[in-house]
Amino acid sequence: MEGAFSYAPAIAAFPLVAFVVALTFGKWLPKKGAIPGIAATAGSLLFSLWMLAAVASGEVYHETLYEWTAGAAASEVGTEGIDFTFGILIDPLAALMLVIVSLVAFLVHVFSLGYMNAEGETGLPRYYAGLGLFTFSMLAFVYADNLLMAFIFFELVGLCSYLLIGFWFRTRSAPSAAKKAFLVTRFGDYFFLIGVVAIAATFGTVAFAGDDSFVAAAETAINDGDTLFGFDAQTWVTITGLLVLGGVLGKSAQFPFHTWLPDAMEGPTTVSALIHAATMVAAGVYLVARMFGYYALSPTTLAIIAFVGGFTALFAATMGVVKDDIKQVLAYSTISQYGYMMLGLGVGGYVAGVFHLMNHAFFKALLFLGAGAVIILMHHEQDMWKMGGLKDKAPVTYYTFLAGALALAGIIPFSGFWSKDEILYDAMIVGLEEPVILAAYAMGLAAVFFTGFYTFRMVFLTFHGEPRSEAAEDPHSIGWAVKAPLITLGVLALVAGVANLAPVAKIVGADITFLEHWLDGEYGAVEGLTYSAYGELVAYETGVIGSEQLTVLIAAGLSLLLAFSGAGLAWKLYNVPEPVPYKDRLGTVGDAAEANYYQDEYQVWLANGLTRPVARAADRFDQTVIDGTVNGVSTASLFGSSWMKRLQTGIVTNYAALLVAGFIGLLLVLGLYGGWFL
Amino acid sequence: MAVFELPGWTALAPALILAVTGLVLFVFDSISPNSTNRSLLAGTAAGGALVSLAVAVWFTFAGVGTPTVDGGLGEISILGGQLVVDQLALYFMIVVAIVTALITVASYDYLVDHTYQAEYYSLIILAATGMSLMAAANSLVTIFIALELASLPSYALVAILKDNRGSVEAGLKYFLIGALSSAIFVYGISLVYGATGHLQLENIAAVISGGDVDGYGGLLGLGILMLIGGFAFKTASVPFHFWAPEAYEGAPAPVSAFLSSASKAAGFVIAFRVFTTAFPLGETTALIGVEWTHAFIILAIVTMTVGNFAAATQDNVKRMLAYSSIGHAGYALIGLAGLTADGGEFVMGAAMMHLLVYGFMNTGAFLFVGLAERWEVGRTFEDYNGLSTQAPVACAAMAVFLFSLAGIPPFGGFFSKFFLFMGAIEASAETTAMLAVAAALVVNSALSLYYYSRLVKALWIEEPSTTRDRLAQPTGLYAAIIVAAVMTVVILPGFGPVVDTALEAATAIVG
Repeated sequence: MEGAFSYAPAIAAFPLVAFVVALTFGKWLPKKGAIPGIAATAGSLLFSLWMLAAVASGEVYHETLYEWTAGAAASEVGTEGIDFTFGILIDPLAALMLVIVSLVAFLVHVFSLGYMNAEGETGLPRYYAGLGLFTFSMLAFVYADNLLMAFIFFELVGLCSYLLIGFWFRTRSAPSAAKKAFLVTRFGDYFFLIGVVAIAATFGTVAFAGDDSFVAAAETAINDGDTLFGFDAQTWVTITGLLVLGGVLGKSAQFPFHTWLPDAMEGPTTVSALIHAATMVAAGVYLVARMFGYYALSPTTLAIIAFVGGFTALFAATMGVVKDDIKQVLAYSTISQYGYMMLGLGVGGYVAGVFHLMNHAFFKALLFLGAGAVIILMHHEQDMWKMGGLKDKAPVTYYTFLAGALALAGIIPFSGFWSKDEILYDAMIVGLEEPVILAAYAMGLAAVFFTGFYTFRMVFLTFHGEPRSEAAEDPHSIGWAVKAPLITLGVLALVAGVANLAPVAKIVGADITFLEHWLDGEYGAVEGLTYSAYGELVAYETGVIGSEQLTVLIAAGLSLLLAFSGAGLAWKLYNVPEPVPYKDRLGTVGDAAEANYYQDEYQVWLANGLTRPVARAADRFDQTVIDGTVNGVSTASLFGSSWMKRLQTGIVTNYAALLVAGFIGLLLVLGLYGGWFL
Repeated sequence: MAVFELPGWTALAPALILAVTGLVLFVFDSISPNSTNRSLLAGTAAGGALVSLAVAVWFTFAGVGTPTVDGGLGEISILGGQLVVDQLALYFMIVVAIVTALITVASYDYLVDHTYQAEYYSLIILAATGMSLMAAANSLVTIFIALELASLPSYALVAILKDNRGSVEAGLKYFLIGALSSAIFVYGISLVYGATGHLQLENIAAVISGGDVDGYGGLLGLGILMLIGGFAFKTASVPFHFWAPEAYEGAPAPVSAFLSSASKAAGFVIAFRVFTTAFPLGETTALIGVEWTHAFIILAIVTMTVGNFAAATQDNVKRMLAYSSIGHAGYALIGLAGLTADGGEFVMGAAMMHLLVYGFMNTGAFLFVGLAERWEVGRTFEDYNGLSTQAPVACAAMAVFLFSLAGIPPFGGFFSKFFLFMGAIEASAETTAMLAVAAALVVNSALSLYYYSRLVKALWIEEPSTTRDRLAQPTGLYAAIIVAAVMTVVILPGFGPVVDTALEAATAIVG
């Protein structure tokens, strides 16, 4: 396994090549670029699995590949000089994420054959080039070994999602949604960039791992009680951590930056699957996990992460309840699920958060691809009220979708249950000591009910009952390219939970928490980037109710109970031959949820009421003061020019006179100055 | 080491080759004044210039003039130090030879209906001989003789279109201003001689350092100032610039190119040599009470400003280029303004680089005007509208020249101007006034972009205002323009040797 890591750059390079190929030759290729894309992501997947195996055999990889600039400036903590490099860091977390990303990207490419090629879309080379670049950016982001490199690829991920969300650029809504996604995430990334600069200026390094990482430097500074930029070290770490968190909130669509994500459904459904499961949105949470050591140093930041996560989980789930478009429901479920991951990480549950990130990648990719299949079946109809009865006509789609839904709703024994339960358990034991976390936990718990409800409302409206439109009565057929990815992901959604059966382990005392061992570096690990190392840093007290086993049972029981009651309510209301909307009965609450709690409105108001006047004032300043100065200079220059021209009279005696006069003038100046006439 | 040692005077070969070529053409002219064998005449002239160039380049690489401590053959002094061949001399001989070669090749087409072919070429080559000698002149008397040798043929060249009123008038004006300037210059020489008792530059420096001139500081200062007047005339610097717009506009375009590039460079080389060799800054300042660099600071700022401002609103392309050439003289003057008592080789080297790059870009620009005159499209910006549709190659070359003149990367003009700017900033550590020079450089460059891009806009963006016949593609002119354009571009990757050569030459003379 020694040599495996020297092939690591190829993981990201394959999709980059596919991008170039699709862009340049896509038009002439048989499947318009799909084949190179599939081959490249398959290659990435194989290599990622190889890396996973290498890490499992106890190796890790941390290597600087290219130094693109170095500076000599001393940092705030006194480090001399700073290097900006490109390097690769493959530890258990990165290896796991590489596999997830390349697997989902591969399946999305395969699915695209059925979703895009078979449907006769135009502009396919552009589509596959976008997918290739997207995959490349995300893979490079995942194994970036420093914050600046991560930032660069983070931005590239944002750019690619812009390009793909706006794929159907001839419609009115898609370009607008693409712009919104770009601008909202850019707003968050603005803080991220300041955070990167602040961290670089403070610690003189942006490396994630090793003795010269900014995490280690921050820990030293806190232990030494340093004062950084006028703040004590702990506060400064909190400030910089929150700045970086700005980018995370934007990308992972956490409140209040979640507004771009539902609109992003304008992109092709395959793109949504990629964005939600493995790339764009996952990037934010992955970044928190990547630099978890840094956040662990600051309890304030962790609490904020947990609270925002819990709130977003509930907030988005309530909005998902009233949506009629199948993709919209999934969009809000994504926001909500990433809220859970943030909650998990925020309470110090590093394993739980990463576990949910993994499971969610599988079942959300499954659900989006399933929704894509439904959309093919329904001749591009997305309104659930026009569906119904697809269960018998498309059994593969139905059963795989159901597996995804059960995982999403957190029904035992599907994968989502295990990870969500672990997050809630971690939140609960901390919450017993910390009131803020308890509030976050309560919100997360309440969201379980809504999740169960909207998930099964979606399933019942789509697949059960009587067909409610002609399209639903006579669905389009789907091919193997659609079914194969669904089956693969369906199986994963069912069994992925086996990776970390923490509650079972705690109750029966069996040693079956494989993921925890994996992330704790029992195989290969980079020092300092392990679960137990983080555990020492996190300053939370934990409590139990009675014994640990009892607490586990209470936590699991509560969340299962809520999930079942949500699902049951949906069963009762919607699993009937002719379901009807109940939204009107919700009154103003329903209206508010339908309108997304007026989040867009207030952001538009902010833009109109605050940004626009400021921009207008800046514009006026530019138009009058700046332009005025510039125009004044040019007017003065032209005036001066015409005056200068007049010196040249064309009469040679004038020239002689001016020449002598000029000479005498110079003579007088220098002569008086030098004292020649004395 | 060479197996055999050439006699010392052969070091002057680049100038001597030009002199012989000039005489050959002169003899030809005496025998057959009305010959129109253009190929033979232009070929001879261009051949002489190219051989001179080749020899000068060979000498540079062979180490002629390189100080012996650097492993070279040492400076070679001829006629008891009246002439000297060192790196500075060879560098400017190269510049002169390049411009002469370009001009003679281009003139092949330009003079197609001209009556006095042989006369024209012999005058060009004789003037070039004078300029080449100026590079080597090392005593005030040889400097004056070389300067007149360059000037007198130039007057005749400007007036060579004998039936053209503008040409003749310009020639006369040039001559009158030239006579006045020469008078001032020679008067300055006599004052310096009166104060120091020497004409040879090293001897003057020795006398000044020896303290034998004490009490005659004012006299010496006045003499120095008058010498500056002579250099200012040759380099077309304010206030001795009045001849330039008229002469450049009236003269045939290749002659304008010749005067504004080679003649200017030659004027700078004598200024560089005289002021670094004869008047060491520290001792001279003690004597005359004021640093002579201050005169150059004033001249540089005023020259840049007058040149560029006057160029900004011209309607006539050739006149615009004439004023821009005055502005560039101002830039090159920074090389002298930035000298300090114990250094300044960097800024002087930058000025030398600028003069070399300028030799390509400015010559090329004037030759394009010559091409336009040959096409008879007219003289104003408006007349040039839309030429690119008919002559894209020449217009692309012209765009290269103009952007390079404005100092836009990646062309050669950017780098030399950038080095000048850096040199000025460096020198400001000693002399605060150099900051004003640097600022003037930036402001004037910005302004120059305005009028240069006006011409590019006319060529490339505007629609032709009148319909034109098919434009001829004269081989010689095109070849010269394209060579100049290619050199303006490739001088960038090849800038390393140029920088080294210029800096070495500057270091040798300053240090």
